[in-house]
Amino acid sequence: MVGTIIQAVINGLLIGGIYALVSIGVTLIFGVVKIVNFAQGEFVMIGMYISFFLSTQLGIDPIVSLVVTMPVLFVVGVLVQHFLIRRVLGPNDMPQIFLTFALSLLLLNLSLMLFTANYRTVHTWYSDEAFHFAGLYVPYAKLIAFVVAMALSGCLWVFLRTTDLGKAMRAASQNRDVASLMGINPDRVFAVAFGLALALAGAAGSLLMPFQSAYPFVGQVFVLMAFIAVVLGTLGNVIGALVASLLMGIAESLGIQFVGADSGLLVVFVMFLLTLVFKPNGLGGGKAR
Amino acid sequence: MKKSNDRSRRSGVKRRDFLKLAGGSLAASGIAAIPTISRAAETINIGALYPTTGSMAQIGVGCVAAAKLAVDMVNEAGGIKSMGGAKLNLVISDVQSDTTVTRTETDRLINGNKLSAIHGCYASALTMIASEVCERAKVPLITGSSSDQLNKGRHYTFTPFARASQFAQAQLRMSKLVSDKPKVAVIFENTAFGTSTSNGLKELSAGEGVEIVMFEPYSAGFTDASPLINKVKASGANTLFSLSYLNDLILIVRTVRQVGLNIAINGGSGGFVMPDFYKNVGKAAEGLQGVAHWNHDINADSQKVNAEFKKRTGEFAFEYAGGLVAQTFMLADALERAASPDPKKVREALSTLDVSSGYAAMAPGGKVKFGPDGKNIYGRPVGVQWQNTDLVSIFPKEDARAPLLKI
Repeated sequence: MVGTIIQAVINGLLIGGIYALVSIGVTLIFGVVKIVNFAQGEFVMIGMYISFFLSTQLGIDPIVSLVVTMPVLFVVGVLVQHFLIRRVLGPNDMPQIFLTFALSLLLLNLSLMLFTANYRTVHTWYSDEAFHFAGLYVPYAKLIAFVVAMALSGCLWVFLRTTDLGKAMRAASQNRDVASLMGINPDRVFAVAFGLALALAGAAGSLLMPFQSAYPFVGQVFVLMAFIAVVLGTLGNVIGALVASLLMGIAESLGIQFVGADSGLLVVFVMFLLTLVFKPNGLGGGKAR
Repeated sequence: MKKSNDRSRRSGVKRRDFLKLAGGSLAASGIAAIPTISRAAETINIGALYPTTGSMAQIGVGCVAAAKLAVDMVNEAGGIKSMGGAKLNLVISDVQSDTTVTRTETDRLINGNKLSAIHGCYASALTMIASEVCERAKVPLITGSSSDQLNKGRHYTFTPFARASQFAQAQLRMSKLVSDKPKVAVIFENTAFGTSTSNGLKELSAGEGVEIVMFEPYSAGFTDASPLINKVKASGANTLFSLSYLNDLILIVRTVRQVGLNIAINGGSGGFVMPDFYKNVGKAAEGLQGVAHWNHDINADSQKVNAEFKKRTGEFAFEYAGGLVAQTFMLADALERAASPDPKKVREALSTLDVSSGYAAMAPGGKVKFGPDGKNIYGRPVGVQWQNTDLVSIFPKEDARAPLLKI
């Protein structure tokens, strides 16, 4: 029994790490650029396909392909921000919502056309292997994904805290006008933020590839969890999103284990609603970032 | 993009129909002296409702390929002879893996075209909707979907293959191939397909002497199978029945390997009996068992169909593909006897169908005759196993083409 609980918590934590990469991207974009990126899941999907093709065509390990997916998606993010998002930023939210939503639909249908709806899987030597101890097990692929996800989140946090660009990003998100009066170029800062968020999505894609199949709809599975985590962890709060993602992974896993296999999300939503009743701004409280 | 292509194809069909009608009426009024010519040129429209976009597109696309192959086979063999060699014309519609779209598309297909019959949609949840619409419009629907609900209160729905309840019985009996005292964990996706099949399993288990130690629905399309498999492990089961579509099943099998759980897996039908399953799971698929309403090794005709399907698509003919070829030949048989494209007459002819040879009888059991509920009274599933990258029939004895591979 105790073993089962510990195993359920391990399972939850491991998948929570992936939720974290997706939700941190969403919360970063929201915090800095002040828009909700509905297409974040589709960028995870693109990251998965890049890793898949690098692995099957060139034999590059999906985890190693991180060094390709992250820069590629960073550039994509900068371009998307510069040519699309920048033009609809303004007092009215509607064009932004429609823009990212349309982007999501476009990428989804484009990938259906290019890659078909087939599931594509990569087999690595560690894909179906696990580390066993004391009756518990930790799959290698998920452990690697978790560790890399936490490391990347840590790097992002250090970047936002210590570097000039990171501080400029936080400043621009707090007050765009004042920041530009202080000599910060908001367009540049927004482009970097969007690029970073997409690079994280790409990383999530590469890390998922050894144990998940790539298919055009795969991003939508993760983006729902990401949105809940972003609100649960207080909009715009990177640490909040991280903690919320891990908690949600554990809640989902325990829910499946002890409530019912179709009740994982139910438990997550109950936790979500209860948190909002007592802390309407989410776990991060009133403190954003 | 795909969608707009489909639409233009659709409007193309409509235009062609319009021209045909216009030409036909001109011919009738102007050159009434030679009506036999216009009769010989007649084509018979068969509607095909499949999800070729959306989450169920993968199998849907394969179904469309099979439907085209079947129509070509009928037409190359001379079409419907009682109607002057009339050719079958496939009118394809994409139901987009969505129940609402299925309803409007079925309506549109029936109202926009003179259909003699419809086949579709493979996924039970969609077929249920299409069958309701067909019932009201009085157009016969023939389907490979296995939900038992399709046989309740319908007069225009025909199901030539095994029903979900029969699948359940076959799975339970197969569990005894592996262990004398099967302790079964049943996990099923919470959809029409999963629920109906699992309920069949539960109801029949006591009678078959099989103990079910875990019975759990799960939400289809999960991110991670670990919590579910953790639960299976805790149940102490020695056999796992997983009623899932492809992606969930891939995750489940891979997770079972990661956990190192020594358990016989019966993947049921659905995604498990698709060529893609082996490609995705690889060697871990060897020895896994399942059930199908059709398999490509059941008889010589099936092997011929399989060879042709393989030539066209590069994959072996999966159950819905082979089943669809058989269904099209059942429709051709009915049209031959009805000698009319009128859907009501086709329905009458289908209800008296009785075949035991040829492509139309290409089903486990080898015979097709519909009862009053539209069920094939001879229908039965075939138990299959992945052996050396191929899907082989192993159960029951009379359908087995190879012995069980013990792992």
